[in-house]
Amino acid sequence: MLSLILILIAAVFFTGVIIRVKSMSSGRKGPGILQPVFDVVRLFKKGVVYSETTSFIFQIAPTIYFSSVVMVMLVVPFGQSKGVLSFDGDFIFFAYILALGKFFSIISAMDTGSSFEGMGASREALYSMFAEPAFFILMGSLALLTGHTSFHEMFAALHIGSYISYALAILGTFVLMMVAMIENSRMPIDDPKTHLELTMVHEVMILDNSGFDLGLILTAGYLKFAIYGALVVNLFIGMFPYHYSIPMFFVIQFVLASGVGLIESFMARFRMSHNAQFIFVLTSVSLLIFFGALLILGKFV
Amino acid sequence: MPYFASRNNVNSEDKMMEMEGLLNLSWSATLVAIIALCFNSTKFKSYIAASTVVVNAILTSLQAVGALNGEVQELIFQANSFWGDIPVRIDGLSAWFILIVNFTSVTGVIYGIGYLKPYENSSQKLSFHWILFVVFHLSMVWVCMLQHTFAFLVAWEVMSLSSMLLVIFDHHKPKTLQAGINYLVQMHISVTFLTVGFIWVYFQTGSFSFDAFQTYFGANSNIWLFLIFFIGFGIKAGFIPLHSWLPHAHPAAPSHVSGVMSGVIVKLGIYGIFRIISFLKADFLILGEIVLTISVLTGVYGILNAAVHRDFKRMLAFCTIENIGIIGIGIGLGLMGMGNGSVVLYYLGFGGALLHVLNHSLFKSLLFYSAGAVYQQVHTRDMNKLGGLIKQMPKTAVLFLIGAMAIGGLPPFNGFVSEFILYNGLLEGLKTSDISQISLLVVTLGGLSIIGGISVLTFTKTFGTIFLGSERKPLAHQPAEVSKSMLWPQYLIVAMMLSVAFLPRFYLNTILNLLDNFVNNRFVAGSSGFAAYAENITNINLYSLLFIAIVAVSWMIRAFVVKGKTREMQPTWGCAYVAPNNRMQYTGKSFSKSLGKIFGFLLVEEKRYSELAAGEIFPETRKYESHYHDFFEYRFISYITHHLVYAANYFKFIQNGRVQSYVWYGIVFMVAIFTLTVLTVLK
Repeated sequence: MLSLILILIAAVFFTGVIIRVKSMSSGRKGPGILQPVFDVVRLFKKGVVYSETTSFIFQIAPTIYFSSVVMVMLVVPFGQSKGVLSFDGDFIFFAYILALGKFFSIISAMDTGSSFEGMGASREALYSMFAEPAFFILMGSLALLTGHTSFHEMFAALHIGSYISYALAILGTFVLMMVAMIENSRMPIDDPKTHLELTMVHEVMILDNSGFDLGLILTAGYLKFAIYGALVVNLFIGMFPYHYSIPMFFVIQFVLASGVGLIESFMARFRMSHNAQFIFVLTSVSLLIFFGALLILGKFV
Repeated sequence: MPYFASRNNVNSEDKMMEMEGLLNLSWSATLVAIIALCFNSTKFKSYIAASTVVVNAILTSLQAVGALNGEVQELIFQANSFWGDIPVRIDGLSAWFILIVNFTSVTGVIYGIGYLKPYENSSQKLSFHWILFVVFHLSMVWVCMLQHTFAFLVAWEVMSLSSMLLVIFDHHKPKTLQAGINYLVQMHISVTFLTVGFIWVYFQTGSFSFDAFQTYFGANSNIWLFLIFFIGFGIKAGFIPLHSWLPHAHPAAPSHVSGVMSGVIVKLGIYGIFRIISFLKADFLILGEIVLTISVLTGVYGILNAAVHRDFKRMLAFCTIENIGIIGIGIGLGLMGMGNGSVVLYYLGFGGALLHVLNHSLFKSLLFYSAGAVYQQVHTRDMNKLGGLIKQMPKTAVLFLIGAMAIGGLPPFNGFVSEFILYNGLLEGLKTSDISQISLLVVTLGGLSIIGGISVLTFTKTFGTIFLGSERKPLAHQPAEVSKSMLWPQYLIVAMMLSVAFLPRFYLNTILNLLDNFVNNRFVAGSSGFAAYAENITNINLYSLLFIAIVAVSWMIRAFVVKGKTREMQPTWGCAYVAPNNRMQYTGKSFSKSLGKIFGFLLVEEKRYSELAAGEIFPETRKYESHYHDFFEYRFISYITHHLVYAANYFKFIQNGRVQSYVWYGIVFMVAIFTLTVLTVLK
């Protein structure tokens, strides 16, 4: 339950921090931290425009996409406190529910019959497919290392290791953050601020969404960031008492958000054709974590 | 009956009588139906066939349900001295597969009534088709029941031949005929392997009964014989590189036949593998590792190919190969569980595999039926020519969507339940101490997840291209929703799928019961250790329900907020381009192009086009063609067959078309036999 509240709070600020960091590093003052929230509230008040080509799929998809993100938020734990749901193999459920949301967002893009949106849909499907094994091998290695299979138990057991486990945590942070970037279509993979539809991934998929639906999609994006941030935090806090772990949560989330902002300010997007290979590299980082886990367990003779 | 005495549940005399009665009833019903089908008017043929299949299904299911509860039903035919006693036995494993066969065949035959309506004027074709369908269904059931090697092979052969003849329903099309012959040849390669295996056992033990396997495996090495059977049954099941009949036969067959073939006939290959496993005595670990490795590769290869094909029935056929891979992962895990002495892994692996057999038979037949509905209306299997069908065929579209989500293993549908069990099995397997096993399992974990990812890509592509957007090419006939007799079987399947998804406890308990008696009491005492796991897995339906509740609540909030706001319909935003047309939509081909490029080493793409010539200033209209080949078929199998055909050329002089030489061959043969006998070379 605690994790749920913390994620919600973090989600309110996360995207705002990214935008603020980006504007500051380009020498502008930038909008307020809460501007993304205001944007969403404004969208919620608006009417909608639907494309004539679309069917009911287009209308239900944003709701299902949003619900999938809410659902996965429930399984994320916070240190010693479990998520609202916690069961063996919940990370599988996490990944598959997210995949369900993605399934709907992809077909809703196809529903508009626009060639641009189809292109974005195809890229989204391809990239998230490549990110999948990285996440699963990471989680599998943690399961191997700790002997548990639920988020809560894995993270709780993680810190009782040597320093190597912290090294693994850092590699894990890299993988999780990159997966978050792919899920949210942020910088090294996709540039949310590009103005050419041909080079977009996520933004082009939601070109035809408007009003409440667009608000839901944006909110889901904010939540997703905070969820992955929370997973990263969990890699480090272990069983720390709350008066350390809660401030740590916000510090780490803040560092991640400003990191994203800085990357977006000083880096160009990867070439679209190289993205897939890049994402596949994540799997090898995950394999590195796997070998680290084997090393810690002394399985290498 | 000396060798039955060891079984726990020996039937009493009247039980046997009852089973005999039911089986005789089913035989006589079939014979009556075959005669009736020959002489009836075209209108009633399909109904007669359907009722016969239903009657047969009920009669055999009655016995199967008893067997699932743990009473082995058996009957022994006294045959002549060469065949010996022919045991007909329904144990838990047979019962599970019989029920699956029956359910899919019943939905198939009802669907077929509507699907074959357009052919009502070709009476002979229909009689032949329906007779074959009835025989086909019965032969599949008998394959699961016969435990006598020869009798099994006869039933197996009847099944292969009848299904082959069902495939070539459209026999005037050369492609269909070609697919049928391909299927026929490959099935006989499979039979060759099976026969070799059976004869091997016969020579070692002197018995044709399946129980002889116990003796054989007790005394000899398990690996080689298992591998021979794995190849034999694997051809039927579609493990790579033995899968190449599937992508030809399934698109060629009428959809209700491909639904049944893909839903159950490939599963009988899995049944055979399970049957052999139940007799194994040693070498579990190495066999498990072999099966697991082949299965992961099969899964990834199958779904990769499914992702790029534009023929949607071919895509579904490749997707069957993928699912066979997933089932195989479960079998491999179960074997590794037996090898490691891990009860939990044994239950998770085999349990996941058996549940996925059921699940796949459900959503694959659903997908074939709804794809068939599309084909019936638009007469093309090329998805790139379609689009926007959700408006004309909304029910079919929703059914296809449900099938697509279930087959991708997405919650809240049934595919997730079995995949969740398999993932749990993989994680459970990590608890062993052997590093090679751990590495294999982690790679499998990655493989299974990538299979899931690509299947999302494949099915969003297929569903999006066929049903969403707007039509890419004007169709000759305006498609309309299909008839009720084609929709109802699909509703029935969806209901069944939901029951697996939301009442997994029932199915899981049935499977656990079955697995308790599956291998001779090595693990029987252990199912209590599995209770915690089963609890966890069966709770998955609650989480799915919670998810549905969240969707419902969000939807209500949305409805509440949106109420009273403006709502406009406008053309799709064309990114400032003002003259878009339907041909400019993203096609299925372009959707999976980048994937095809990345995996270009496996997905062999052949393009046919002519480049612009140097001086060609005003180019004429030209054609560009591109299609994908099956890697194994293109690179290896056709290479081998090409060389075989080349070698066969040297023997062409034998078949020269002159009757005189054929008579001469006969004379030479007879004289040879005669002289050899006289000289006592032959006895």
